[in-house]
Formats: sequence, C-alpha cells, structure tokens
Amino acid sequence: MELLSYVIRKLIGGIPLILGVTLISFVLMVYFGPDKTFELLSKNPTEAEIAQVRAQLGYDRPFLVRYAEYLKEMATLDFGFSDSTGERVSSILSRTIPVSLALLAPGFVLGNLLGIVLGLVAAWYRGGWVDKLIMGGAVVGMSISFLVVIVAFQALFGVVLGWFPVRGWNVHDLPSYAYYVTVPTLASVFVALGYNTRFFRAVLVEEINRDHVRTARAFGARPAEILFRNVLMNAMIPIVTRILFSIPLIVVSGSLLIESYFGIPGIGKVTFDAITSGDQPILKAVVGLTAVLFVLILIVTDILYRVVDPRVSLTGDAR
Amino acid sequence: MSDPGIILPAPEPAAARLRPERTSLWGRALDQFRRDHAAITGLAIVAVFFLMAVGVWFGWWGTQWSQALGGRWEGPSGGHWLGTNLLGQDIFQRAVYSTRTAFEIGLIVAILSTLLGGLLGALSGFYSSRWIDSVLLWLMGTLDSIPFYLFVAAVAVAMAGNPWAMHIAMVATFWTTTARLVRGEVIKLKNLEFVEAAHAIGLGQFRIIFRHLLPNTFHILLVQGTIVFVSAIKAEVILSFLGLGVQDGVSWGLMIAESTQEVLAGQYMNFIVASSFMFVLVMAFNLFSDGLQDALDPRRAPR
Amino acid sequence: MTRINQPHPVLRVDNLCVEFATTAGQIRAVDQLSFSVEAGQTLGIVGESGCGKSVTSLAIMGLLPKPAGRIVDGSVLLDGQELTRLPEGRLRQLRGAELSMIFQEPMTALNPVYSIARQMTAVLKRHQQLSARQARHRAIEMLARVGIPRPDQRIDDYPHQLSGGMRQRVMIAMALSCQPKLLIADEPTTALDVTTQAQVLRQMVDLQQELGTAVILITHDLGVIAETCDQAVVMYCGSKVEQAPVADLFLQPRHPYTAGLMQSIPRIREHKLDRLPVIEGQVPNLAALPPGCRFAGRCPNREDRCVQQQPPLTERGAQQFACFNPWNGPVES
Ligand SMILES: Nc1ncnc2c1ncn2[C@@H]1O[C@H](COP(=O)(O)OP(=O)(O)OP(=O)(O)O)[C@@H](O)[C@H]1O
Ligand SMILES: [Mg+2]
Repeated sequence: MELLSYVIRKLIGGIPLILGVTLISFVLMVYFGPDKTFELLSKNPTEAEIAQVRAQLGYDRPFLVRYAEYLKEMATLDFGFSDSTGERVSSILSRTIPVSLALLAPGFVLGNLLGIVLGLVAAWYRGGWVDKLIMGGAVVGMSISFLVVIVAFQALFGVVLGWFPVRGWNVHDLPSYAYYVTVPTLASVFVALGYNTRFFRAVLVEEINRDHVRTARAFGARPAEILFRNVLMNAMIPIVTRILFSIPLIVVSGSLLIESYFGIPGIGKVTFDAITSGDQPILKAVVGLTAVLFVLILIVTDILYRVVDPRVSLTGDAR
Repeated sequence: MSDPGIILPAPEPAAARLRPERTSLWGRALDQFRRDHAAITGLAIVAVFFLMAVGVWFGWWGTQWSQALGGRWEGPSGGHWLGTNLLGQDIFQRAVYSTRTAFEIGLIVAILSTLLGGLLGALSGFYSSRWIDSVLLWLMGTLDSIPFYLFVAAVAVAMAGNPWAMHIAMVATFWTTTARLVRGEVIKLKNLEFVEAAHAIGLGQFRIIFRHLLPNTFHILLVQGTIVFVSAIKAEVILSFLGLGVQDGVSWGLMIAESTQEVLAGQYMNFIVASSFMFVLVMAFNLFSDGLQDALDPRRAPR
Repeated sequence: MTRINQPHPVLRVDNLCVEFATTAGQIRAVDQLSFSVEAGQTLGIVGESGCGKSVTSLAIMGLLPKPAGRIVDGSVLLDGQELTRLPEGRLRQLRGAELSMIFQEPMTALNPVYSIARQMTAVLKRHQQLSARQARHRAIEMLARVGIPRPDQRIDDYPHQLSGGMRQRVMIAMALSCQPKLLIADEPTTALDVTTQAQVLRQMVDLQQELGTAVILITHDLGVIAETCDQAVVMYCGSKVEQAPVADLFLQPRHPYTAGLMQSIPRIREHKLDRLPVIEGQVPNLAALPPGCRFAGRCPNREDRCVQQQPPLTERGAQQFACFNPWNGPVES
C-alpha cells in the first residue's frame, strides 16, 4: 500500500517531465518538422489546393491546439499508421524494439559488469601500477570514437578474418543470434568500458576510504569480501543510478549508430528515419515511450535505492 | 643523532619551516599541474594541433583539400604524403584541414555551452528553490531525457539544413551538466560570509552573481569546457556519418564516413589517417582535462 | 586492579620504527618504540595529536596504509609470535580472532548496509567455525554483556538505528566476541558525550577483566588513563618519553612533557577533554626533526645538551623516562 501510493505520487510528479519532453519534441519534430504539404500535392498545385492540404494536415491551426492534439493521441496510445510505409505503428514498434533489446543487451550487461570489475581492481590497487594501467587503458578507450571502433571491428572480424557477418540481422535461433550479435557487442563494450571503468572506480575509491572498510580489515575480512560487502554494496546508489538512467539513452540513441552501420532493423534506425522523413506517428510513439520510460526509471531507481540501502526510505525522511 | 657538535637554536614553529606553499586554489593547482607529466604532454600536443588549425585559417597549409590532385587510392609519395582517397584527393591535406574544423566545432560548442551552463546554473543556484530554479531544473531534466542523436537529428531537420544546426543541438544538450555543477557550487558559495557581506552592504543581485559568484566557479567552467570540447569533437564524427554534421568543408567525421566504403574494398589509408588524427587530439585533450581536474578539484587528489 | 601473573607478556613491542613515504620525503612517524602488555592488563598511550599513537596501533595490526607506510625496524611479538614477518594471509586469520581493534568514530565504523547481526556473525563464522545459529546466539550474548538492552531484538537493527554509544558497544562486543588476546582501543570514547563515555569505558573494562584480555587504550584524556589503566606510555613526536605504572606517573611525573600535561588538567573535570591540554610552543615537523630532544623547543628544563643529544631512556624503579634533567617538583593544577 505504501508502495502503491508512493508510485502514484511519483507518477504524478513525473508529469512535468513528460510534458517537457513531449513539448520539445513537438516543437522540433512536428511544429518545425518536415513540411509534408507538397508530398501530397500534384505537380502544379493551385493556392486553394495548397490551403486545403494544409488544413487537412492541420498546419493552419494554432500551436496550442496542435500540441494538445499531439498529447491526446499520445495519451490514448492512438498512434495510427506510419506515413511512409502505412504499417501500424504498434506493429512497427513490437517488431523493432525486441531486435534493439536483443542487439544491445549483451553489450550493455558486459560493459557494466566488466567496468565494475575493472573499477574494483583499480580502486583496490589505487595509486599502484595496476591502477595506472587500467586507468591509462580507460583514457585510451575514451579517446577512440564509436564510429572508428565499429568500422575497425567490422573490417577486422567481417572482412579480414571473415568470422562474422558484415551486415544484417537474420536471427532465428541461438547460434544465429550469436553470429550476428558478437561484433556489435564487442564494439559497444569496447566503447563503453573506458567511461564505465572511470566512473565506477571513482565511486568505489570514495567508498574504499571509509572507516567501515578499515574496520572490516581489522576483523580479518578477505579482500574479496571487503570489495563486495563494504565497497561495492555501499556504492550501489550511484552505480544503480548510472546504469538505469543510461538504459533509455542507449536503447534509442546508442542503437542508432550500430543499427545504421550494420543494417539492423531496430528502433534506433526506425526513429532516425522517421525524423528525417517526418514520419510523425512513429515519432510520437517513440518520444512518448521514451518520456514514460524515464519516469518509470525514476521510480524504479527510488525503489532500488531502498533495496540496496537500509537508510533510504521511500517517504524520504531518513537521511 | 647526527652532528652533535652544532648547537641548534630552539626550533622555530613548524609552519615557518615548511616549504612556502601557495595558498590560493589557482596557485596550488598550477603547482600540481606542473608536476603532472601526462597533462603537460597532453597540453603540448593540443598546442601543436592548434597551430595546425591556425595555419589552415591563415591559408598556410591544407589549402588543396578539395581538389582531386591524383588518381584514386594512390600510395604515399612525395607529392601525397599519406596517399589519396577514392576521389584522388590528398588525404594528408584533408586531415590537416579537418583539424581546423575540429577546433571550430570544439571551441564554439565548448565556449557557448559553458557560458550558457554557467549563467543558467548560477541563476538557478542563486535563486534556488524559487520558481526560476524550478523552471531551469525542469528544463535540464527534460533535455537530459531526450536521446542525444535524436535531438540533434530533430534540430537538424527542423532547421532545414542550416549549417549551425549541429552546433546548436550540441550546445542545447551539453550545457546542462555544467549548469548542474555550477548550481551546486553557487548554492554552497552563497551561504559563505563574503556573499552575505555583499548582500549586507546592499550590492545588487546581478552584481553579486557576476562579480562574486560566477568568478568563483571558474574552475568548474574551465574543466567542463575541456570535457565539452572533447565531447563535441567525438559527436561530430558520428553526426557527420549520419549526414547531420559538417555541411561544407571536410572533417575527420566526413573522412571516416567516406572511408567506410573504402575499408570494405581493403583501402585503409583514409580511415587510419582520419582516426589517428582524431584519436591523438582527443587523447591529448583528455589527458590535459584530467590533469586540470586533478589540479583543481581537491577531492580528486590521489588518496 | 587484578593482575594475572604470566611468564611472558601477551604483546611485546620492541624498538618499533615506522616510516611513511611522503612528498616531503621519508617521515619517521614512530621511532624506537618499546613496551609490553600482559594478559588482563591495560596499557594506556597518551600524547598529542599526530604523535604516532594510531600509527603504532595500525603497525601492530599490520594495517599500515600500503605502500606509503612501512615498518622499517623492530619487532612485534604476540604471545611469542613475530607479527611483522607474518604473511598477510596468516595475519588476516589473527585479526579479529587473536588481536582486535576498535576505532574512534563509532558513527562510521560499522558497515551501514548490513545489520548488526550480519556483521557480528560474519566475524564469528570467519574465525570460529560456528554455524549461523551458534554465531547469532553468541553475538546476542556478547551484546548483552556490553550492556545493550534487549539484544535479541537490537541485533537485527542497522547501524543507523543505534546511537553512538550503542554503536561503540557493538564494536566492543564484536571485537571481544572471539576472545582475542589483545584489544587495541584507539580513542574509543572520544566521540561520545561524558556520561556515555564513562559507561562505555566501564563496560569495556569489566568485560576485559572477565575475559582476561590485554588492552592497549589510546587516549587524549589523562583522566581516562587514571581511571582505567595499569601502565601508561607517554609519546611525543613518535617516541616514548615516559612510561610508568599509573600510580607512580601521577604521583611523580618525570618527563617535563608529562608534567606539563598534568599541570594543565583542571582539578574538577566537568567536561571531557577531546584534546590534550595546551602546552606552549610547536611540535617539530616530523620531516625535519632536530638532532636533540624533540621536546627541547618547548621544555622549561632545557639544558644545552638537550638540543645536541637525544636523551636515552633512564629507568628509575618501575618508571622509565627520556630526559637529562627530569622533573622533580610537585605537579600543580
Ligand atoms: N598515511 C600517512 N601518510 C603519511 N604520513 C602519515 C600517514 N598517517 C600518519 N602519518 C604521519 O604519522 C604521524 C602520526 O599520526 P597518527 O595518526 O599516529 O597520530 P595520532 O597520535 O593518532 O594523532 P591523533 O591523536 O590525532 O589521532 C602524523 O603526524 C603523520 O605525519
Ligand atoms: Mg589517532
């Protein structure tokens, strides 16, 4: 009950964020977005024909009315059909989102896990050569562009070695999944690892200097135990925050480059195409979902905070 | 213990015997930075690239980046130091010219977004928990929730091919981090004595913000500026690949984008040169930026 | 206080020297320090902030910050076993079992994300092959013995649900739960208020007496020394300047530094002292120590040779002091 009322309060609190995201996307993608008038007209349209099509598209109505309309369609989940292919938006989404998730999940999990492990090792040996080596590697990793990594990995694994496909996504079972997902995964782990390791090391070092770590050492705890129970478990709040909040950005933004480069039909590519072609039904759906996803993540993080730290309470009174 | 024959005067206070340390933030930072070899090396490399960019501005070199001077995919030679690309353009000249593009993008985006972030962050912090702060926080939260590349794409499309679309989109997304940091610092500072004193003697609010608060967040702005510079250069590459980036001229991103076809044909020169130029500059800037952070943020001192 | 006579002491520290590598060069934080503690006995260590008390205890525990801090000379014998040459794995088995340590800050010394039960049973299971149930039982018993009311319920609390005094009791219970031979308490009560301080100390001493544990009690507070210790070591700038049974020490301090400390104790102590009483002058910098007596710069009894030569430790009865020109007069406060 406490949880339910909390979630409801949080959802209400998320409304300004949803309004903000939809407003900005409306202004950019719809109000100033591609003008489709002339696509619907014949060769030499008359003034009257133009005006008629504009009215039909709703371009002549005032800003607020159009925004309200946009919100209404979003709220009723009535996204209709894609302008360019005529396919149902909901079926486009249910086709492409799983592809993106399957494409990104291994890299996301591995990138974070490896980052945490490397961060722990570096923090434990802070100041020593192991730390310097790992952090030096992280700076190098951070300095290489995602695009360069993708091109290089594709050339290496697809062209030179020929182990993995150059493009495409023809997945029907586990081996074919592994076949198509490996190179994108390697690329995204490589790119994320530098940033992740640095972030995780910083929060872990913060914890490793705490008094309770010294206490654990004074009571004979092993390094592995200290790293897990005293260091990692106490750094969970920033770690959870970072990991969860990177999800929506990665699903929509991070997938874009990989999907366009490897020709994979995921949500990133679909959204990008929708922006450039002005396919508003798809944009509405994606933007609305992203905003809702953010609010949900806000709630999930708060609940997870309470799971990982007994001092946190959902009502927000204890420190 | 040693030399018992010499009679020492009574020991003077410990503080007096310590090496005279600079006390100000900037003095200490300078001392620390000077000892940081990686950061100094980074700065030197950045300076070399900057000179390269300046030379392009003045037309000293990199002028023939667009002409097809040779055949396609020529190997390195006296005429074309690093060979030619698919269209027979000189790869070295293009890479050098792209340095200018990179600095233009990096500097414009870094300066504008730090200014914007500093200003709005200071306002937000100074009026914390008033309506102006709430609005700004809402704006930051909103901008942070829109996936970056989609946002840039939307701006680019909305501005219908305007060459500044990319810059505007980057500034619009990059300022929020700076603003949050400055906001936090200003909230801390405004409760300090000197600000309260400024209030007491009746200084105007804007005067307090601009003369007393913002200057004290300069270290944050500087570090953030270097971070944004790197982010902008890296974002440009991806945006150019997506066709949303540099509209006229050439950049490392465009070179890499055009090289993707060449790579599949087994021609790596264009790709390697553009990637390497970019990697070296970004790496050098990262080292420099790290050194700055270590020097300016006491909490980041090695522990 | 009762003294269990034993042929050799539980802990013998001999000529201990600890150095730190710093940007200002090699610092000797502890210099030729020797003392010993017997079972059931409490040894107090006093001295100004920065004189090396904590470094001494960390050196005994083998917990000096690596790689900066290092034991460069001397030996630490626990029950005849040389600790300074023990491999880390062996030492780890001793920590919490044979030698325990509690720290100054009870508020932050416990892991905030685990319950008291989790933390106490982890120690017991680690060192004493107890089952989960036995460990829990034992932990509750220890909590009861340090005077925590309703220990069977409190044990499931998290540290943030306990007061500072309670947390320090938990630390004491945890430190003594495996019946160590030696307990090092580094300013265990400095962070507590006066009443709690007295109670917690009392509880610690009682339990120590019951278990026959040897204790090293580090403090800023000469009053605490007078009330709880058998022997006291006075440190200055990393070395021992005086050691004596507590009664002798208070009767007739020999080192002018000790005398200075005592002189500045207010007769009626209404509030606790969280720092030592102020003595005129400055502590010399550890990176550039004078060749003579380290206290010479502040000493009222200074002679010429004091600044040229280090005074050796002189024994007079049970009392040891390092001074050429020892204090003889009464101590007025
Ligand atoms: N990690 C370290 N690196 C360098 N020097 C250190 C380090 N830890 C301690 N020292 C040096 O050792 C000296 C003794 O420190 P220590 O913590 O033992 O003092 P203390 O007597 O416990 O003081 P306090 O009463 O304040 O706890 C300090 O003056 C300091 O110069
Ligand atoms: Mg101490």
